[in-house]
Amino acid sequence: MTGLLAIGLLLAASMLIGVYGVRAARSTPDFLVASQEVKPTWNALAIAGEYVSAASVLGLAGLMLKHGIGTLWYAVGFTAGYVVVAALVAGPMRRSGAYTVPDFADYRLGSQRIRKLCAVIVLVIMWLYLIPQFKGAGVVLHLVSGTPYWVGVVLAGLVVSVSILAGGMRSATYVQGFHYLVKLVFIAVPALVLLASAGPDGRAEALHVDLTAWSRPLLDLDNSGEPLLATWSVLIATTLGAAGLPHVIMRFSTTATARAARRVAVWVIVLLGLFYLFPAVYGLLGRVFTPELATEGDTDTVTVVLPGAMLPGTWGAVLTALVAAGAFAAFLSTSSGLLLALAGGLSHDLSRTGATGVGRLRLAVAAGALVAVLLSLPAAAVDINVLVGWAFAVAASTFCPLLVLGIWWRGLTAAGAAAGLAAGVCASTGAALASAVTDVPHGWVVVLLAQPAAWTVPLAFAVMYGVSRLGTPPEWAERAVLRLHTPDSADQPRG
Amino acid sequence: MTSPQTRIALSRRHRPVQQLLPLPDETMDDGALAAARETFARQRRLALRTFAGLAVLLLGLSGLLAALPVLDRVPVGTVPASWLLLMAASYPMLLVIAALHVRAAERVEDTAARHRPPPRPGAPPGPDDGPPR
Repeated sequence: MTGLLAIGLLLAASMLIGVYGVRAARSTPDFLVASQEVKPTWNALAIAGEYVSAASVLGLAGLMLKHGIGTLWYAVGFTAGYVVVAALVAGPMRRSGAYTVPDFADYRLGSQRIRKLCAVIVLVIMWLYLIPQFKGAGVVLHLVSGTPYWVGVVLAGLVVSVSILAGGMRSATYVQGFHYLVKLVFIAVPALVLLASAGPDGRAEALHVDLTAWSRPLLDLDNSGEPLLATWSVLIATTLGAAGLPHVIMRFSTTATARAARRVAVWVIVLLGLFYLFPAVYGLLGRVFTPELATEGDTDTVTVVLPGAMLPGTWGAVLTALVAAGAFAAFLSTSSGLLLALAGGLSHDLSRTGATGVGRLRLAVAAGALVAVLLSLPAAAVDINVLVGWAFAVAASTFCPLLVLGIWWRGLTAAGAAAGLAAGVCASTGAALASAVTDVPHGWVVVLLAQPAAWTVPLAFAVMYGVSRLGTPPEWAERAVLRLHTPDSADQPRG
Repeated sequence: MTSPQTRIALSRRHRPVQQLLPLPDETMDDGALAAARETFARQRRLALRTFAGLAVLLLGLSGLLAALPVLDRVPVGTVPASWLLLMAASYPMLLVIAALHVRAAERVEDTAARHRPPPRPGAPPGPDDGPPR
């Protein structure tokens, strides 16, 4: 019950900050002008708040309990992605004036077909990413209130859709920033308390290196026997995927200038690096105090189960409630960002007329949530981080090459981009599907199916480059690229 | 009561679909074009260098941990050295790489802005042009 109470308080606090944030943002008529009043640090808090999802709060510790310490490479990749964002994407993307990836494709390549293809890929990535978020919500609600898994998933879909439709929940940068702080505090403080209460023996056991693959600081996928290849493939997917995630790209258009966009990305690295110090605690202690989860049960529950297992009584209940609220904040802020990006793709980019109203956007939100809920119902047994890893792999194999080549190479043509996007999305989703339905016993094939980024990203880049070379870019292509890198008056340092 | 993203999504319907931004300035003179090319080339070299640094850090650190299993048995305090490297070492280094890149990229832009010809009267404002301060 304490868990439910904590989640209720979180919802109420988000609503309050949302109402306050609306007033602050409404003082200026145009949002993009209003956003310039938001300090870069708040913008960074909001981006980190939207980015730290169930994969980070629940999935990391869960997969770590199952597969070992090397799972933390996911966290390194999630953070390293913002180096790529800062260096390759944020500034020029902000200067392009495009709000979304389909917008950018339209600006850079002048093709409606590419816009539609991009919108379809947005849907694929967003649904792949939403399923594990809804799974996380279902699992957490089941743990704190005993409701069946499907009730939690359906409720989660309702809460997120209603919060977007009503508009008040995440109406401001401040709500997202608040959710980052909730996640950090509600994961970090219980982690420190649990570390202290584990005692010297418990800590020594948690840090004990044995001779199993669990203790090796590399990420072996499905016992492939190729840990270094698997680690690299996960790193490629997460690092390059972060630079191609539609809801992340969308957030950078709320910065004031290209210069501010880059700086915001650097602040996000600070915030993510700080957060990712703590999920490991749950994985390490979970191995000592809740080892049964690894053999029977759902390892994704370890973060919520551990406090109760280590500290019976009131303190355990309070810590469980904190962690559950943190997990719910992760689910809420990420999935509302995902659902909104998805709905934008459905109602704007894929619509035939191009002119849409509020009604259609609302319909798209409801339809997107419904599909995500239906897809999440049979996904209870799939690890959160495996699904999120696939979403990153698809983003890394499609939008990353599109943005990187579109921003840094004038030779990219619409035909080349289309061919590369098609190759990337088919190869990465195909490999992930194949790994889900087939049972290859051992070796590098397992890795290249379970986390295909190591070959699908180079494939997408090569196809985009090769097919572009066969054609000629339009004569305005060079100026379209140059403008992304040319500072104008708003970029000047003041004074 | 709408979120930033909702407002963005809604505001897009007011814009022409085909042409998101005014097309690049057709009458860019030769001097400005050469300067823009030079800035672009410098930024691209910088981006390549940063990306190479990132690749060396990520592939190098994981490669190091793969090549030297002995690090699993070297304790730093109570934590195995390899675990500590994985859990905490990469974040400060990622921050350094990103911060160095941003500083260098801003310097390239400052240089470009100093050599920029004054805007012609009546030229439309660029996409970055904010409100008057």
